[in-house]
Amino acid sequence: MSDNRDMVVDTAARLFAALGSDYATNIAEVEAAGLTDLLLPADDGGFGGDWGDAAAVLALAGAHAVALPLGEVMLARRLAAAGGLSLNGRLTIAGATQGRLTGDSFTGTLSQVPWGLEADAVLAEADGRLLRLAVADARAARAINPAGEPRDTLVFERAPATSASEAGLFAQGALLRVLQSAGALDAALKLSVDYVNGRQQFGRALAAFQAVQQLLSQFAVEVAAVRAAAAGACEAADAGDAAFEIGAAKLRTNIAIGVGTAAAHQVHGAIGFTQDYSLHPLTRRLWSWRSEFGNDAYWAVRLGHEITAQGADAFWPQVVARTDRLNRRAS
Amino acid sequence: MSIFAAPLPVLPDVGDLRDRVRALVAATVPGNPAAHRANCWAVADEGFSRAAGAAGLIGMIWPERYGGHARAPLERYVVLEELLAAGAPVAAHWIADRQTGPLLLRHGTEEQKLKLLPAMARGELYACIGMSEPGAGSDLASVRTRAERTKDGWRVNGQKLWTSGAHRAHIMIALVRTDPESTRNAGLSQLLVTMDTPGITVRPVIDLTGAHDFNEVFFDDVLLPHDALIGKEGEGWKQVTAELSLERSGPERYLSSYALFVELMRWAGPEPDAAVAALIGRTAAELWTLRRMSWAVAAKLAGGEDPALEAAMVKDLGNSFEQALPPAVQALAEIDPAGAPELAAVLAQLLMVSPSFSLRGGTREILRGIIARGLGLR
Repeated sequence: MSDNRDMVVDTAARLFAALGSDYATNIAEVEAAGLTDLLLPADDGGFGGDWGDAAAVLALAGAHAVALPLGEVMLARRLAAAGGLSLNGRLTIAGATQGRLTGDSFTGTLSQVPWGLEADAVLAEADGRLLRLAVADARAARAINPAGEPRDTLVFERAPATSASEAGLFAQGALLRVLQSAGALDAALKLSVDYVNGRQQFGRALAAFQAVQQLLSQFAVEVAAVRAAAAGACEAADAGDAAFEIGAAKLRTNIAIGVGTAAAHQVHGAIGFTQDYSLHPLTRRLWSWRSEFGNDAYWAVRLGHEITAQGADAFWPQVVARTDRLNRRAS
Repeated sequence: MSIFAAPLPVLPDVGDLRDRVRALVAATVPGNPAAHRANCWAVADEGFSRAAGAAGLIGMIWPERYGGHARAPLERYVVLEELLAAGAPVAAHWIADRQTGPLLLRHGTEEQKLKLLPAMARGELYACIGMSEPGAGSDLASVRTRAERTKDGWRVNGQKLWTSGAHRAHIMIALVRTDPESTRNAGLSQLLVTMDTPGITVRPVIDLTGAHDFNEVFFDDVLLPHDALIGKEGEGWKQVTAELSLERSGPERYLSSYALFVELMRWAGPEPDAAVAALIGRTAAELWTLRRMSWAVAAKLAGGEDPALEAAMVKDLGNSFEQALPPAVQALAEIDPAGAPELAAVLAQLLMVSPSFSLRGGTREILRGIIARGLGLR
């Protein structure tokens, strides 16, 4: 944990609460506050934060339903700096890549690019390399996820690319979604608890009904699980190797999103289904993020194959060794 | 609620502790079949318990003068999770190590500690918990078993039910009503009962698998000494609820089905189809998450906190996880008992016993009520 986490979190909380609806203004404010440089090392002019810091800020962004590619820019700048790629202009990352890198030339399609049209350059991984491509070189089309967040398609034909060694962009993208989801689930739970405490039906508060209590308890346990998984994945990522932990955390988060969003809408009744009420900015994002950077099947099958390749008796010793290594590092 | 978000504290370097536990299990119960490894904290083997005691794995955090080993609480957690993952038959000493020993350390007399704890730590003296009664299952405050003051101590009359391991236990911690005028959770006290005291009758209650774990225990004018009172008279409820975090958050709440997961992986082989791989991946993700949650509670307990809400969450989620796995395996794996006997046997065992997971140690409904209170809903 960096020493300045409290300060950054305070700054972010104030900023997120005051954001308006104009994208250009909002992203400029977040950049000016230094939040997009949170994961950039101090030597590169950044904040030098760790994944624990990112977790704190992105959970807040998730809770405030911030409609910005904050995590994406944060991650892109960290990866670009680590790979010696240019930090100039506004960066984003690709959620999916199809194509080939031939020499310094890329032909292919990047899809699910958050705010791709608003970015100057995009990072993607292909053929074992981390690529930096200029958006101006692409045929670009707007697409949006169910929450209305831009997830654009960029088609490149023999476009110039600078590149560095592959650095786990997709997995770290998944970690961003875990951290945002942790905040959004937490906020949806709080909203639900407040609502059932205030809403009277049949002469008493909804909270007084055992069926409602049991449903929200289940929701709370899922939120707790996501929090634990997020913290575990961040610790592993800060230790350098989170190959298993990020996949496990994204999958666990995806599962929790299913349980949590259903419970939140159920206890809210019809009001939660309206445009004016503040539940859908959270739940529509959660439904979107469940699909992004690996849906349930993607991570479940991938983890399953990695585990079975090691043999039935290897799982336990390996999973405990992965946390024991963190203790040895710390002591 | 910021719970579970905090980084875990720095844990002790456990050195070769894991290897020692694994070696002990391999040497003491070699070739233990999967059906016995499942739910192994309900499988008693006194020989194993004595071996565990001799290896210093019981009473690990108790002071040395009481036969303990003065180790760190989180080192004990490492030993517990290794025992459970290996499917060691730990039931004989489990309650003494987890609950009764710590209770006596907190509330027992010096004489009781010196007499009982060293034998517990050797894996020779076993305990049971007398809480439920015919009219008091989850509703423990309805306890009716009575203890009256006599000149020499206490006279106990009543009946306990669902008492796990009473037939091999040497002592029981019984929750009894010491104030006859009291109702609900006032007027209850905890008494230390030596099981060979005249007037005690233990009768088996055979479970649906044919196994004998439960008992009913009858008290018929059972006379106990003054110092049978553990802690304070009338404080039994408070003392019992203080134990619940120890009882609910441990690795037994997510590793009871681990033997099934191992046999599923073995059955799947190195390159299973996508559906089987997905179940294995999902199970691994859930298990990893639960382990971290359980560790977080253990760390809080080690720091002297009572994380009752978090413990209830771990138990509820652990129970749901462990109850979901057997039917998920059943739905996916075509099982010929002759073809994959280990998987078939452990699956059958867990399909039958797993309904008890969300009953023992606090039902799902009770736990969710506790969580609801923590959320401010009641």
